[in-house]
Amino acid sequence: MPIQFQFEPIFAESDRIVDGVLLTLGLSFGAIVLGLVLAILLVAAKSLLGRWVGLLVDAYVELMRNTPFLVQLFMLFFGLPLLGIRLPGTEAALLAMTLNLSAYATEIIRAGVDSIHRSQLEAGLSLAMTRRQVFQHVVLMPALARVWPALSSQFVLMLLASSICSFIAVPELSGTAAIIEQNTFRSFETYIVVTIIYLVLALTLKVALDRLGRAIFPRISSVDRLDAKAEAA
Amino acid sequence: MNILKHLKIAGTLLALGAGMLAASQASAQSVSDIVKRGKVKVGVLIGAPPYGSVDAQGNAIGYDADVTALVGKYLGVPVEVVQLTPPARIPALEAGKVDFLVATLAPTPERAKAVMFTIPYSAFQTGVYAKKGTPIKTWEDLKNRTVGVNRGSSVEREFTNREKELNLKILRFEDDATTMQALFSGQVEAIAGPDAQANAAIKARGETETELKFMFGMQPNSMTVRKDAYELKQWLNNMIYYIKQNGELNAISEKWVGGPLPQLPTF
Repeated sequence: MPIQFQFEPIFAESDRIVDGVLLTLGLSFGAIVLGLVLAILLVAAKSLLGRWVGLLVDAYVELMRNTPFLVQLFMLFFGLPLLGIRLPGTEAALLAMTLNLSAYATEIIRAGVDSIHRSQLEAGLSLAMTRRQVFQHVVLMPALARVWPALSSQFVLMLLASSICSFIAVPELSGTAAIIEQNTFRSFETYIVVTIIYLVLALTLKVALDRLGRAIFPRISSVDRLDAKAEAA
Repeated sequence: MNILKHLKIAGTLLALGAGMLAASQASAQSVSDIVKRGKVKVGVLIGAPPYGSVDAQGNAIGYDADVTALVGKYLGVPVEVVQLTPPARIPALEAGKVDFLVATLAPTPERAKAVMFTIPYSAFQTGVYAKKGTPIKTWEDLKNRTVGVNRGSSVEREFTNREKELNLKILRFEDDATTMQALFSGQVEAIAGPDAQANAAIKARGETETELKFMFGMQPNSMTVRKDAYELKQWLNNMIYYIKQNGELNAISEKWVGGPLPQLPTF
């Protein structure tokens, strides 16, 4: 028997799908911006403040990178209320995504920071720059430029992982899909539509981040490319 | 119709052969048949706790198994329990593998075309649960509240139908356990769900702050006999009436469902 696809019942719920997409995008953008800022602050703290702060940052990064995202989400949603802090689903999701992403981003940016040669720091200091100035201009920006592709792919992963937030009844795209599937009993069609939407979202985000990277780091990345050429030669 | 029926029976007998024939002759159709044979064969449900499941030794346990033990006690004969999954229940009865079913079957008109039902002996109930301090007595009291429900359950519709009218904020969770957890942790103000699962969660957690606010749905379940086994059905009805009156059925409800026996309808 040939499969009879019926997409009409799915498209009849397009309002729900649009809401789901908007929530997925909102959560992802929020987590990317906040997570990146938090990661930069953590790297700065590790680089500029003492050894103990560095250890704390390391502990945080390892804790978040070595526990499942779903467990982190449940801890914030079901666990925090027992301590008297009740975060609604969407806020708990945003916080979990931000914390999770910031840990991965910290580790990626740290790799970029490690790649900056010591002579660069000495050059900066010899030009009478303060330690903060050296960190900002000599270390952080070139480091971000180098690891931007790795950061971008982590951001796309976070967009896809936002689907897990449907477990705490957040009606983002996957949560919406589950509701539509249950209303229409058209599982295959529902998930075909959702798959295409995720694919479009993820590819668009990837291209946008690529463009953004070129816009923010034009000079540095071209210098890097020269460096690479010089090394290859 | 009669000819058709005879043809059907003849065909079945031919197809199933002598072994099956012997089994179907051995199945009792009345109380005196059962007593004469000195053993009763009862089909019980498994795979649907707390009504029916199996323990580590493979024995049937649950509401149905305990009621079956009572039936055996009042019949005065040993019970042979036959474990049945939901789709196997009516076919096993019709094939004569069991004398009757104590298997959490809802007495629907469709099923009643094929078998006969006793008066109900158990009931699934659905209720609204919330913290003790939350003033909820009726659906109206849920107005503007955040409520939780198991996504895809029959109960979800009760909330969805009232979503606009009561301005409910509905959170749909993956299963009954997560829904209860959302209530315990205060992420929702009230939930709707089946009483057995709610009671089990409240008991497992040792929760004292969560209580039933009101019941809104009931699905009664009946014992089931073969078509035309009027006398057996009448005896079972009589026994159900008796164990309802003397409190034995209530004790089984308290033990497995975690609450008193509801007012069961009769017919």
